[in-house]
Amino acid sequence: MIRVKITLLLVLTAILSHGCSNCGNSKSAGKETAKPRVALIMKSLANEFFLTMEEGAQAHNAVHPEYTLFTDGIKDELDVNRQIQLVEQMMARQINAIVIAPADSKALIPVCHRAMKSGISVVNIDNKFDKEVLSERGIHIPFVGPNNRKGAYLAGSYLAKQLAKNDLVAIIEGIPSAYNGIQRKLGFEDAMNEAEIHIVSSQVANWEMAKANRIASAIITEHPNLKAILCANDSMALGTVAALRAAGKLEQIQVVGFDNISAAQELLNKKELLATIDQHADQLAVFGIEFALGMLESGEIPSDHETPVDLITATAAT
Amino acid sequence: MYSKRLHRALADYLGLGLALIVLIAFFATTTDYFFTLITFRTIANQIPDAVIIATGMTFVLIIAGIDLSVGSVLALGGAVFGLAITSWHFPLFLAAVLCIAVGMICGAVNGVMVAKWRLPAFIVTLGMLEAARGGAYLVTTSKTHYIGTSVEWITARGMMGLSVSFLIALFIVIIAQFILSYTIFGRSMFALGGNEEAARLSGIPINYIKTAVYTLCGGLAALAAVIHCAKLTAADPNAGIGYELQAIAAVVIGGTSLMGGRGSVINTFIGVIIIAVLENGLVQMGAQDPIKRLVTGAVIIIAVVLDYYRRRP
Repeated sequence: MIRVKITLLLVLTAILSHGCSNCGNSKSAGKETAKPRVALIMKSLANEFFLTMEEGAQAHNAVHPEYTLFTDGIKDELDVNRQIQLVEQMMARQINAIVIAPADSKALIPVCHRAMKSGISVVNIDNKFDKEVLSERGIHIPFVGPNNRKGAYLAGSYLAKQLAKNDLVAIIEGIPSAYNGIQRKLGFEDAMNEAEIHIVSSQVANWEMAKANRIASAIITEHPNLKAILCANDSMALGTVAALRAAGKLEQIQVVGFDNISAAQELLNKKELLATIDQHADQLAVFGIEFALGMLESGEIPSDHETPVDLITATAAT
Repeated sequence: MYSKRLHRALADYLGLGLALIVLIAFFATTTDYFFTLITFRTIANQIPDAVIIATGMTFVLIIAGIDLSVGSVLALGGAVFGLAITSWHFPLFLAAVLCIAVGMICGAVNGVMVAKWRLPAFIVTLGMLEAARGGAYLVTTSKTHYIGTSVEWITARGMMGLSVSFLIALFIVIIAQFILSYTIFGRSMFALGGNEEAARLSGIPINYIKTAVYTLCGGLAALAAVIHCAKLTAADPNAGIGYELQAIAAVVIGGTSLMGGRGSVINTFIGVIIIAVLENGLVQMGAQDPIKRLVTGAVIIIAVVLDYYRRRP
């Protein structure tokens, strides 16, 4: 019986992930050859962050109808295989440029390389491609996006000003294999080391609110003198704040987040969250698209382009 | 006969309880602050949603079914609950009732499909896992909704530092165990899980029982959603991913058989506590994520192996 169940599960997973591989492909290809055709390929559209990104791109396209925009994303942030299929489908749709937020910083490089060989301009946003793999293949894919390490450093430094030397803090990390998660952790560490503040614990909560809530509860029990918790995204900061509230430690422990999602803004207003970082999610895809259009016009492959990150603090958010 | 059964049940509780004590002793000696009242209060206030889901799952596994949709139903229920409070300005109680109703409808759909059309529960609830998650994204437009402090009292501390939600969970465990042990409905569940054909031939309304059990499971998942939202003061469409497997793990650690016909809600409750103690203890030890997963996985497997030996006469 169990074996039957497992077989069924495998079959169904296969159907669910591949069953739609041809959907949306039937739309007419390339009638208006004059207009550049730009594809925006994102990670999970179930994530508010990427949804905001998509909405920003569509709003931009509405104001700038001189290019045709195709957007698509995967169901699950880690579904690398499905995203590779998406790139292939976009190639089949006679796209001129691809703006991609890769689900994996290495696994998506081969398919993007193939796209480049067929004459498509590729721009990398959100999650930066792995340098070594790119140089091993002898290619350059320009990255347009925020410096996560710098953003985390900004939030960390602002927090450090509220703390004293030798205070104790903890970090709650995102998915450990994600480039932006690693960069944010490094940025927090930079700021803490500079201010000589001790990081007593650094734990992974996979960007998840409920997991961060459980982990924060355990950390504050183990370290009763903790002064602050730095969270690598706002969802985890929300979970952490809820844990502090339940433990009656909101006064003692400060929390910083990252991303500036709408739910975090309400916590900022209530001063339960000290600061967060806005990396202008709605503009990230737009930056990438404008960059790609520039590449199509000039025919060159420029170097990376850094987009702004801004510190949002409890007092500034109104 | 009766005393023998009691003896066996006692041995069951003792075995699990002993495992829990060993775990607690281990963490107490390896970390500075694990063996404190705060840790146990924290754990008690964290597990209510998991306990409530696992209770429903115990019922489903006892009738030899499975429900993979509980995590998604939790997210959908939470989404409806959050929206009812923030956008439609429902009073808390009404929002909770609406949320539970949504969960029961999901569960009833599962139950009717499984009972009436004899479809495999695995497939039906896998479909519901996708559908309810989609519903949660639709309702919330994929955004996290901040509910605010009006729901906080549910997870605030009531008696002896224990939260209202913990007391609710405890109440549900007691009622569920009572239903299992002392009612016709409970007895019929065991009969159905043990041998469906025999149960049918002895006049047990198996379709009715199945539908009722899945409906209950959906309703409990939605009740867990209310508590989950109150704990985080936010409705998150990504909530509850993987909770179905966590619930199944807790139930299995508690010695309920995946083949049906055997199980106890109180043991499930201890199973949930064991998982929570593990997670808290490992965090306090500063163990990294891969180690935590490794250990949790090993504990689940050890529990099943022990169960195999415990079951042999």
